[in-house]
Amino acid sequence: MAALGARWPLRPGRRWLSKVVLRAPSPPASPLYPPVVASITAKSKAAKSRRLQRFNQRVHGAATVEEKLRLYGKLQRPKYMVYPQTFALNADRWYRSFTKTVLVPGMPPRAAAAKPPAAAAGATPETGRAPEPRAGLPEEAEAPGTAKTPEPTVGAGPYLDIGELRSLACDALLQESFYQSKKRPFLYRDQDHTPGPFLTQLVSTLAASLSGRNPLLAASSLDLNPEVNYYWHHGKEVVVHGHRKGRVDPVRFQIDDKPHLQIRVPKQLPEVVPLESDLGDVPVIDHKPSKLPLFKKQYENKVFIGSKVSDPCCYGHTQFHLLPDKLKRERFIKQRLEDQIEVVYRSNGIASLFAWTAAQAMYQGFWSEADVTRPFVSQAVVTDGKYFAFFCYQLNTLALTAETIENSPRKNICWGTDSKPLYDVVEDGCVKGFNDEVLLQLVHFLLNRPKEL
Amino acid sequence: YPLFQRGGPQLRIFRPNFFMLAVRPGVPQPEDTVQFRVSMEMTKVDIRNYLERIYNVPVAAVRTRIQYGANNKRNHRNQRVKKPDYKVAYVQLGQGQTFQFPNLFPEKEQDAETRSFDDFRDKFMEKEKQKQEGDPRRGGVPDWFGL
Repeated sequence: MAALGARWPLRPGRRWLSKVVLRAPSPPASPLYPPVVASITAKSKAAKSRRLQRFNQRVHGAATVEEKLRLYGKLQRPKYMVYPQTFALNADRWYRSFTKTVLVPGMPPRAAAAKPPAAAAGATPETGRAPEPRAGLPEEAEAPGTAKTPEPTVGAGPYLDIGELRSLACDALLQESFYQSKKRPFLYRDQDHTPGPFLTQLVSTLAASLSGRNPLLAASSLDLNPEVNYYWHHGKEVVVHGHRKGRVDPVRFQIDDKPHLQIRVPKQLPEVVPLESDLGDVPVIDHKPSKLPLFKKQYENKVFIGSKVSDPCCYGHTQFHLLPDKLKRERFIKQRLEDQIEVVYRSNGIASLFAWTAAQAMYQGFWSEADVTRPFVSQAVVTDGKYFAFFCYQLNTLALTAETIENSPRKNICWGTDSKPLYDVVEDGCVKGFNDEVLLQLVHFLLNRPKEL
Repeated sequence: YPLFQRGGPQLRIFRPNFFMLAVRPGVPQPEDTVQFRVSMEMTKVDIRNYLERIYNVPVAAVRTRIQYGANNKRNHRNQRVKKPDYKVAYVQLGQGQTFQFPNLFPEKEQDAETRSFDDFRDKFMEKEKQKQEGDPRRGGVPDWFGL
C-alpha cells in the first residue's frame, strides 16, 4: 500500500495542482446518440403528433397519385355523409362552413378573351340581368325579348347564331314533352320522365354545335350519370361513445354525388380571380354537424372525378345537375318554405363543385398538407327541368384540417345566380316565353376555355 | 254519427290528450331549433299541426326520436325500476325565427340588509371554526396527544 500510496498524488484522476487548460469538448463528427424525440407508441399528444408526421411523410413520399390516394383514404372511420341535394334547412350555410367557401351572388366578370365588347353592349338595357355583368359577349347586342333574328357580332370570330341555338333547345324540349308519346310517369319519377332526357339532349346537341367554336369542347369527354366522390377532414371533435371515447378526432366528411351530366376536358379552365383574393366571409357554425341534420356512416373513403387518374381529360369543365322530385318547387311552396328553394340550388352547386374541384386537385397530387399552387375552376348548372341556376367555383385551398386551416388564409369562392326559368309553358307544339338570357348563359358556360386556345 | 266523407260536414271534434313540454336542450342546438318532450303517440304531423294551429308558431321542420328510459335501478326489494320512455321532438322554426331557452333561475339582487346579514353569518361561522380547531402551533396534532 505504501508503494501505491507513494504513487497516489501522481494518479491521473487527481490533477488539481497541475495546469490543465480546460477547453470545450469538440463536437464529434457524427452524433454519438440518436436524436431525442417523442415516442411513437405512447398514449400522449407528442406521440400522436409524431405518428401524424410519419403518416404525412409517407403520403408525401408516395410515388404515384394512385398510391397517394390509397394512403390518404386508407383508415376508415365513421364520417358524415354530405348530400349535395338535400332537404335540410339552410344547408348552404352549413356546407359553406364545412368547405371554407365564400358565396358571391351573380356571375364573375369574365375578361373579354377573344370577343371584344360590342359597341352596342353598353346601350343595351340590362333588364332582368342585374347580377350578370358580361363584358365580353357579342350576344349582348340583342335586346332581350326581340324576335328571332340572328345578330352579327362586333369583333373577331364567327358570329353566334342565337336563332339556331334557340331552335335546337326548343326542338329538344318539344321532342321530349310533346312529340314523343310517353306513358304517364310513375309516382315520383317525373324528373326521369321528361326533364332528364331533355337536359341530356340539350347539352349534347349544344356541345356538338359549339365544338367548332371551342376546340376544348372538341377534345372533351361527356359523361352520362358519372360519379363524383371526395373525402376530407375539417375541424376537431371528441369521440362520444365506444371504445375510443374521449379521444380528439378530426371531423370526417364524404360527398358522393351523381350529377346528371359532366364535361371533362384535358386543359384547366383559367382562373377567375387571383389565388389569394378575399371576396367575403365564411360562415362559422359552432354546433356539431349532426344538428343540420347530417348522419355518420363508415364505408370506403373514395376520391373520384368521374374517370380514373390516367385519363387525359382530368380537369373539369361543366357539370349538370337535375333536382329530384323530393325537392320540387311545388313541394316547398306547399310546405310554405319558399326561401328554401334557392337554398337547394346553392347547396347543390357548392357541395358538388367543391367535391369535383377538390378531387381534380387530388388527382394532380395536391392534398391538405400539400396545398394547391394554382386555382382549380369548374362550372355547374343546377336545374329542375324548367328553372336553371348557374354556378362557378374556384378552389384556392385544400387545407381544411384543424392543423392546416389556421396557417392558410385562402378561401374557396363560389359564384352563383338565382334560378331563372328557361321557358314558361309548352303548349300545342310551341314553346311560350322562351328566355334567351338563360340559353346565352349556358352557351357562355360551354364556350369557356383557357386563353391559349 | 253518419260516416264522414271528404267535403262533408265535420260533426265530431277530436280533442286528443296531447301535451308538449318545451325543455332545455342537453347539448347546444342551433338557434332556430326548439326541443320538446311530447307524448309517445304524437307524430311529426301532429306536432306541426299542434304548434301551428294552437300557438300560431311557424314550423319549418320536425324531427322526432324516442328516448328509452333505463331499467337498471333496483328498489329495496331488488326489483328493477324503470324510468319512463319519452319522445323528444326537435322543431325548426320557420320565417327565420330563433328561440333561446330562458334562464329560469336567475341570480337575485340582494339588498343591503341580506348582504350584511350574510357577511355577519360568514364571520360568525369562521370564528366558530377557529374555536373548534386547536392551537395552530401544534401543527394539526390533537390536544390529547402528549405527555
